[in-house]
Amino acid sequence: MRRRLVTRAAVLASLLVVVLSAAPVAAAPEGQVTWGVHITLAPTWFDPAETPPLITPYMVMYAIHDAMAKAMPDNSMTPALAESWKASPDGKTYDFTLRKNVKFHDGSTMTAEDVKFSFERYRGAAAKSMKDRVAGIDVTGPLQVRFRLKEPWPDFLLFYTAASGAGWIVPKKYVEKVGEEQFKKAPVGAGPYKYVSFTPGVELVMEAFDQYWRKTPKVKRLVFRVIPDESTRMAALKRGEIDIVYSVRGELAEELQRTPGLTLKPTVIQAPQWVSMLDQWDPKSPWHDRRVRLAANLAIDRKAINQAITLGHSRLTGTIIPSTFEYAWPAPLYPFDPAQAKKLLAEAGYPNGFDAGEYHMDVAYANVQEAIADYLRQAGIKTTLRSMERAGFFAGYTAKKFKNLAYTASGAFGNAATRLETFVVKGGAYVYGSYPDIDGLFTEQAAELDRKKRQAILHRIQQLMHEKVMHIPIWELGFVNGHGPRIQESGLGLIPGHAYSAPYEDVSLKGK
Amino acid sequence: MKRFILKRLGYSLISLCLLALTIFLFVRLTGDPTVLLVEPGASREDMAMVRQQLGLDRSLPVQFMAFVADMLRGDFGKSFYYRTPVLELYMSRLPSSLALAAAAMAFSLVIGIPSGIIAAVKVGKFGDNAGKVFALLGLSMPQFWVGLLLILFFSVYLGWLPSSGSGTIWHLIMPAFALGWYFAAAHMRITRSSMLEVLGSEYVKLARLKGLPEKRVIVKHALKNALIPVLTLAGINLVLMVNVAVVVETVFAWPGIGRLLYEGIAFRDFPVVQATVLLGGSMIVIVNLVVDVLYAVIDPRIRLGA
Repeated sequence: MRRRLVTRAAVLASLLVVVLSAAPVAAAPEGQVTWGVHITLAPTWFDPAETPPLITPYMVMYAIHDAMAKAMPDNSMTPALAESWKASPDGKTYDFTLRKNVKFHDGSTMTAEDVKFSFERYRGAAAKSMKDRVAGIDVTGPLQVRFRLKEPWPDFLLFYTAASGAGWIVPKKYVEKVGEEQFKKAPVGAGPYKYVSFTPGVELVMEAFDQYWRKTPKVKRLVFRVIPDESTRMAALKRGEIDIVYSVRGELAEELQRTPGLTLKPTVIQAPQWVSMLDQWDPKSPWHDRRVRLAANLAIDRKAINQAITLGHSRLTGTIIPSTFEYAWPAPLYPFDPAQAKKLLAEAGYPNGFDAGEYHMDVAYANVQEAIADYLRQAGIKTTLRSMERAGFFAGYTAKKFKNLAYTASGAFGNAATRLETFVVKGGAYVYGSYPDIDGLFTEQAAELDRKKRQAILHRIQQLMHEKVMHIPIWELGFVNGHGPRIQESGLGLIPGHAYSAPYEDVSLKGK
Repeated sequence: MKRFILKRLGYSLISLCLLALTIFLFVRLTGDPTVLLVEPGASREDMAMVRQQLGLDRSLPVQFMAFVADMLRGDFGKSFYYRTPVLELYMSRLPSSLALAAAAMAFSLVIGIPSGIIAAVKVGKFGDNAGKVFALLGLSMPQFWVGLLLILFFSVYLGWLPSSGSGTIWHLIMPAFALGWYFAAAHMRITRSSMLEVLGSEYVKLARLKGLPEKRVIVKHALKNALIPVLTLAGINLVLMVNVAVVVETVFAWPGIGRLLYEGIAFRDFPVVQATVLLGGSMIVIVNLVVDVLYAVIDPRIRLGA
């Protein structure tokens, strides 16, 4: 009897040891996190094939879908559905090896056919530039894909993985079965969250996908509630109706900061803002003189503006290239030195300042512009603010109808080269004039396949821009968000430059 | 009578055609929607691609002909922003707008008509002055401000009502009040002036001379006639509440047609703005047509004059 008891105790003890020493099992997802979203969600964001050139769709894409590679906390091009890739020495072929056993939400397994299908079906904003340059895509094995380019294209990976929806993979069989329209209504992806329901203008509901390859999400249910009004979003956060709030500015942000239990969580997004001196190529314009351009830069107290408008959460910058971009050169900041600004203006022949004429701006940024115009006025540069709603502003800007000054901002994806192409180099959509040395270097880098050499050229271009004082850079915008007391990890700010919560599988509730 | 109805029907169709042409041209005067559908700084190729996808690279007459042809088939096009059929979007928002409009209308009539009667009966006295103050506040206080005050007091401070959204009767109370107050004030003012006019008429004087109790004179004789212009206005207001409650629906995140219109305007979503304005306009035209016909049925001078 005693021996039996001893044996039983030994067996139980062994079992206990086995249970306790076993590898920890991933906890099942629990609870719900609700976001108060500032912008109306569009079904087109559920389908990577239609991704417009906006940053907002990625708010949804990071939940429902997954990409060959994407920006993650540790790297702006982290392998995801592609385990690895290799470019041929001539830069005209890219071979991708896919991750094994990746499941879509319908239970099917991802194959190379899905990758080919997703690329060919892509019709988003970058479709033309990609398809013009890609000669073909071959399935070379169940988990191998080869892209053939017509010419070497150093930015192929950037466009394929980060700057478009072409590398976000959808299940071929499912799309063919349900059709294009139905796919937008019931999207299936390989992301950490499954689509549950969408009520236009109201909310999007998603549920954790426990077979997600990276990890099992911690939160069971995600709800994106559309609340367009900022004050209402704030009230909803205070009442606990939502857990995470996007875009709260000025006094409401201060209120969020001082409310017990609420946490301010700003993210700096890849959207620098600057003032363009459009007439610097006109010898008759005061802006033609480098000293005037430098004086304008020294006249502005960026730190004070940052404190007043985004509570100090924007990142001051000395360049128009986002600091998170590949090939960005860390330009030195312009100090606030009004005395030196006045001295430079006097040296340039404007001891009493001058009338700089119209200062064009998008009305959405009126608060920043008024402050900048006031600092310029204090230094002696008088401007007349010409505020326009966004569509009119950009129409006038791209039609080259503006003179003097224009406020500029961009959140477009890309790298230093793509930004320069749009805003600095001859022929760019927003370029009113250019410098031949910069144009020449830009052409040179476009054909350079060696990454280090290309970086050196792009850095040189940015140094030249700084030496010439081409712009009045202000900041990389701080997008002020916040969360309530239930949240352990909001996902905000985990991925550098990303405006929204991500990766969603890392979002967690306290005590879960 | 048949001729009168046909004539009115003809006018209604002409009105709708003119409205279609006007809204088609007006939305295009607001600028190129492409710039709002791409990130600032997007390349020319990106913008050209989006423009082509939306059919905006075609000439204006071609776009208009396509718009009219589609509309005659009951197709209002696809939203630029949502990329889904506009009619589907409109119909999905209609129930919410109808619910809000019905609640706001009930509130505006329940408050507006009795206060208008009291103001007319007690001219220059406390009831009249209180009614005037109520009307002045309702008409002059911006709806978004009323909405925010309601949210702060009833949601944040007292914690009684949800701050925004839809789904339960509790969600409906604050937006219905914020929307209904403005219209209650309008209904109060028209009830007051209409009642004053009727109370001064000969047949009411006669009723009083006959010794009828004042309550009976007001309720049975005066109110019935005084309510005709009030209900006519209420009909038009109901259509407005359904279609253009933009501010209230935005503040309370109410998923109605007003917010759809606001989103359409904000994103230069031409098909959404065109469809919302046209369908709203159609409702107003139909209500007016029905009212005209009813007037003609009641009053032969109208149909004979026509």
